[in-house]
Amino acid sequence: MGWFGSQEKAPDAASRSDRQKCWDSRDAYFACLDTANVIKPGDEGKACDASKGKYEKDCARSWIEYFNKRRVLAVQQQGVLTQANNQLNAAKKS
Amino acid sequence: MLALAPRLAARSAAPSSSTLLRTTCRAPRNAARAFSSSAPARSQPLPDASGRDKAAVGVFTPKAAALFVATGVGLFLYFRYEKQKLIEQKQKELEDKQVGRPNVGGPFSLTTQDGKTFTEKDLLGKWSLIYFGFTNCPDICPEELDKMSDAVETLDKQFGPIVQPIFISVDPARDSVSQVKRYVSDFHPRLVGLVGDYNTVKQTCKAYRVYFSTPPDAKPTDDYLVDHSIFFYFMDPNGQFVDAFGKASTVEDVVARVQKEIGVWQTRTGKTT
Repeated sequence: MGWFGSQEKAPDAASRSDRQKCWDSRDAYFACLDTANVIKPGDEGKACDASKGKYEKDCARSWIEYFNKRRVLAVQQQGVLTQANNQLNAAKKS
Repeated sequence: MLALAPRLAARSAAPSSSTLLRTTCRAPRNAARAFSSSAPARSQPLPDASGRDKAAVGVFTPKAAALFVATGVGLFLYFRYEKQKLIEQKQKELEDKQVGRPNVGGPFSLTTQDGKTFTEKDLLGKWSLIYFGFTNCPDICPEELDKMSDAVETLDKQFGPIVQPIFISVDPARDSVSQVKRYVSDFHPRLVGLVGDYNTVKQTCKAYRVYFSTPPDAKPTDDYLVDHSIFFYFMDPNGQFVDAFGKASTVEDVVARVQKEIGVWQTRTGKTT
């Protein structure tokens, strides 16, 4: 990372610090989405523009696609698991 | 011994360990009695003038004693022979535990991060942990490689450097030798990073039953992810597959499994590798 590098240089997946930077920016953006009660990234309007900009700068496009998809899937999975648990508990009670 | 049971029970309702010990010591004598008491039953029908006298003396005629000893020795030798055979068979089974072992692994020839050739022969004489991945991997590969590095570090402390961590790239279009060199330097100092051209990697992955989805015509500048199997493999010093670890296995799981296998190996060969 040079003095001017941070703007133009694409994130380097082979570097541990660059990976960490991307994950941190992702977590910050996703935390913002959580506060805005938005599941699918992109549906939040302008609410998280600041963290979104950093996220898009620190992560490669393919990674962003992957993380965004993963977030939606994780929420869906959580929903299914909760539903399953509820059914299990209801079945136990009856 | 069965004939002994009622008497034993009569002597003491709950035989202590010393009684058991004593009865065990007396077993041969009792067995002799049990054997000889059945002998007259068979010899009785034989017309023998001195049969009555013999019965009075007991059944310990020299002939019966000789027969008993001979049978005993015969049985002893036979069982010893059988036991020996069983031990040998077990040993052999352990030596080439090919049966029931998944057919994972095979010949390959790839290039290390230092530009050297690395083949399946370089796996021999060391335990290895092999992970297939790619450097542009968002989160799973670095996590798994960290796990592998931590496990190897723990094992190094116990056994010395006998477990070799290996990373094989499934992204031949983008993962150059220099890229992989930078990538592996972030993990365990002994981690070997291997690259090859598309066909070589494909062949290696086939041998290791690894699935990966890099398009054959991918360009080095493309931004894509590779879908691939995320197990890492545990191979023994003969280059034979032992086990595979998935995302659910923790560092402790991996360490325990490897320790166990090294222990088995050590009892069998006397060496750790």
